[in-house]
Amino acid sequence: MDKVMDALTIPLTDKEKASGTWIPTSDDRIIFEGTMDEAEKFFHQTEYVSHPVNAPIARFTDGLPVRVPTEERVAEMLKGTSHKPDEIVTYQSDRRGWKGPVKKGDPVLFHPMNWTATVEKVAACAVMAGCQPEHFPAVLAIAESTCYIASTHTFGQWLCVSGPFAKEVEMNSGCGMLGPGNIANSTIGRTYEIMARNLGGAIPGINRMTSLGSPFEGSRCCAENTDALPPGWQGLNEEGGYRKDESVILVHPHVNDGIRGVQFSPGGYRAFQKSGHGGIARKLGVKGIPGPHNWLEFLIDEFWAGREGAKTIIMNPEMARHLYEYGFKTKEAVYEWLYKKSFIPLSRYRNYSWVDLHTNGWLGVEPISGKHWKELPDDYLVPAAENPFAFCIVVGGGDEEVSHQLSSHQHLGINPYYSIDAWR
Amino acid sequence: MEKERKYICLSPVGNELPVKTYPLARRLDKLDGKTIHFSITGEPDITIALEKRLKQDYPGVNWTTKKSYTPMPVYLTEEEMKTTDAVILGVCW
Repeated sequence: MDKVMDALTIPLTDKEKASGTWIPTSDDRIIFEGTMDEAEKFFHQTEYVSHPVNAPIARFTDGLPVRVPTEERVAEMLKGTSHKPDEIVTYQSDRRGWKGPVKKGDPVLFHPMNWTATVEKVAACAVMAGCQPEHFPAVLAIAESTCYIASTHTFGQWLCVSGPFAKEVEMNSGCGMLGPGNIANSTIGRTYEIMARNLGGAIPGINRMTSLGSPFEGSRCCAENTDALPPGWQGLNEEGGYRKDESVILVHPHVNDGIRGVQFSPGGYRAFQKSGHGGIARKLGVKGIPGPHNWLEFLIDEFWAGREGAKTIIMNPEMARHLYEYGFKTKEAVYEWLYKKSFIPLSRYRNYSWVDLHTNGWLGVEPISGKHWKELPDDYLVPAAENPFAFCIVVGGGDEEVSHQLSSHQHLGINPYYSIDAWR
Repeated sequence: MEKERKYICLSPVGNELPVKTYPLARRLDKLDGKTIHFSITGEPDITIALEKRLKQDYPGVNWTTKKSYTPMPVYLTEEEMKTTDAVILGVCW
């Protein structure tokens, strides 16, 4: 503590008094010239990162082999957009970003080093990820997100395309949509990490400190199955303020307890909905009564077992239809129901690790009453979710009845929708 | 693809921007009688004890504090800057 106080009175050195401008070293457009074998070795080089990694980390890649970004391949990729190669990637609309409001036309500062990029550099990254030119508008839309990487816990981003673009590039919105196999899903998703590494300068153990890491760290992209939305349920594009015929990509953080996987055995779920049999029916008190039943009721107890915050739920089309038939005629109706269910006693709420992070956490002030927790009774009910519209529902996946719950609320306070059309 | 052909490879690496640099804040001639602002951010941990000790060990200082619950501090107003001699920023996350 004395050192802190002494620093206030110790005279400054000449260096500490200096001012001026730090000029970066040159930003070369061409990074390597040589044979293909030599180029592959160059792009696959590693650098050793000492503690807390203690292992080599790829300098230019996500650790997997990449397509070498030759001038010809990058030129071919650039045919996928009308934007000029030397154009700096800028925000295509006013929005709230990770560091506050940003304006249309502001340069995108890639995370974490606040570097900028030209459209051509994004194209080089897209080539490395294995993308085709028709994928490129989605890659540029991802670039607009700054490819944010951060935080100690299992922080990651996953990507979901909504709108006609998904069909244009033949994305998978069905069985295994977050898994491997589809070229558009896999390569578009992969660009996130390659851009974070190259355009943002993100290096594990140096400036990205997610302790365990996550398979969702910029590697998975899927598409919403808009054809399977129940009547009246909006697609993600419309929820984000765009039209149904506009294409967007949702760049969606997930935090903390990550993904909770398959929530039901399909057979057990079917028995529950069709004839009201099995454990799910017993828990909900509907034994012997045929569905539709609100299956979310079965899961809701666990939603806030670990921490507060709204959730993202990916559900297959049939389960979405069951919710519709049960009575939820819009997604908003589901969000309202989830929000109402999120109210828990203060005695439980204040024991969370991240208490009320997004309004006035740790200052001890309950957000609705504005009173300090000490002034409120233990049974005072506090919403564990910020608001109904922080929830997110994505409809997609295969025919077996499963749902995934992602721990993240929709956007951690930022606007997560990026126009793909703006980058065509 | 010819084995000996030379290829030009384009850089995927982002562009660093020039950064304006500024001198560090002028230091104080003494602590007693000065207004020192203790800016506390993030999870309240060591900052709780630190605030108590600073006030206890340096009673001659006119301490002011502001707390935020994120890593970003609550900024001083223009008026507060006029009357504040120094700032200690406690980043805790």
